[in-house]
Amino acid sequence: MDSAAAPRPIIDVRKVAKHFGSFHALRDVSATFHEGQVTAIVGPSGSGKSTFLRTLNRLEAHDSGEIVIDGMTLDDDVRNLAAIRREVGMVFQSFNLFSHLTILRNVTLAPIRVRRMSREAAEARAMALLERVGLKSQAAKYPVQLSGGQQQRVAIARALAMDPKVLLFDEPTSALDPEMVNEVLAVMRELAHSGITMLVVTHEMGFAREVADRILFFDEGAILEDTSPANFFSNPAHERARAFLSQVRHGY
Amino acid sequence: MFAAMIGLLVVLWGMAIPLSAVPAPIGPAAEQFADGARVTVSLTLISGSAGVLIGVLAGLGKLSPLRLLRWFCDGYVWLIRGTPLLLQILFVWLALPTIMPEGVELSDFACAAIALSLNVGAYNTECVRAGILAVPAGQVEAARALGLTPLQTFLDVVLPQSMRVALPALANNLASLVKDSSLAYAISVVELTMVGYRVQAESYQPIPVFITIAVIYLILTTAFTTLTAALEAQLDVGQRR
Repeated sequence: MDSAAAPRPIIDVRKVAKHFGSFHALRDVSATFHEGQVTAIVGPSGSGKSTFLRTLNRLEAHDSGEIVIDGMTLDDDVRNLAAIRREVGMVFQSFNLFSHLTILRNVTLAPIRVRRMSREAAEARAMALLERVGLKSQAAKYPVQLSGGQQQRVAIARALAMDPKVLLFDEPTSALDPEMVNEVLAVMRELAHSGITMLVVTHEMGFAREVADRILFFDEGAILEDTSPANFFSNPAHERARAFLSQVRHGY
Repeated sequence: MFAAMIGLLVVLWGMAIPLSAVPAPIGPAAEQFADGARVTVSLTLISGSAGVLIGVLAGLGKLSPLRLLRWFCDGYVWLIRGTPLLLQILFVWLALPTIMPEGVELSDFACAAIALSLNVGAYNTECVRAGILAVPAGQVEAARALGLTPLQTFLDVVLPQSMRVALPALANNLASLVKDSSLAYAISVVELTMVGYRVQAESYQPIPVFITIAVIYLILTTAFTTLTAALEAQLDVGQRR
């Protein structure tokens, strides 16, 4: 009862490694994430940050090490995997909305199929979520009829419809035209304050600095810095982080 | 789509009425033509549906991680595409009864339907496989990330999207099937071409008889292509052109 004050660890990653052929994508990465924490994962291209995120719901299987999510070990056990994927939502760089389904059906599909919700309940919840991301009026349209920013907001609503404990964002604004970045960041900012656990791979340094509780800096498959945003942006400990920051510093 | 289906039925059941008004040798044989057309359409619909099912299963089989299953489906397509349809029909008709259990009788029609299903199924396999490969990997990742099982992912996401790509090619195979079903005459199934052959043999007037047959085939293929075009339009929603 007393421990309720301390945030509970929800993701525990221990010495996780991953190879793609001869390429060493992750080198014994370890990190613990707590409930409600918003973590921004930054680093140069090819540093393993997206791969790391994708191992957390097993879109990539790790070669060695251990990943425990909400007390369940992520391995080949199909039941664990199903349970973990119910708790971990994901938002992709290229939205990946189901192109043959309406916006409403995109949001209701998983709750109906996976959570066994009734269609009415799922639709009511979907409409509430679409309203939250400002797209209630678009429910009957198809993804192709929406702008990139709108599609990404639908993708966020779709992930939220499963009521996940953790949301993974894989470069959610990288595929967007510049004028659409802010509408997506606004939704994410609102989410960050709602208490959901978020891991965000991003190149938006302004967003990382403003919204994140914690910054992980990846370089060559390893976590080089694990610190607060204030610390990371004003006083990076490693030369590689300083070089990275000087390259992305323009624009914020 | 509904309209095309009803049109097809009207043509089939009402065909004997205008045909009977045509002078000999067509008029007196109007019922025979109508019966023949019904058999042709039944053969097409039955083998066409079974062929799509075979195509989906074998198309999936060809993409399976199980090597044995892949080999089996490869072998099936290789065998069917590499031999004449007429030979396949004769083979099913002559060979299948010998391996059937005692007491099971296969009609000529059933033999023709089996051979045609296997034949069109092999061609459909490649269309379905191409359709499945055309579904972007991100669609599957999104479904898996949402917790859908592999079966749900296939039925809810991959299959409908792959059908969008595969349908024009499947429709093409169906149009061919309408005409390929004429080869069933070789095992004495009384379909449209067989009717024509009989009527001209009795009347000694092949030209008007075969022109009539050709026109009926044209009407049938037109009805079938209208049907598949309507289905295509329905599946095409949400697709950028």
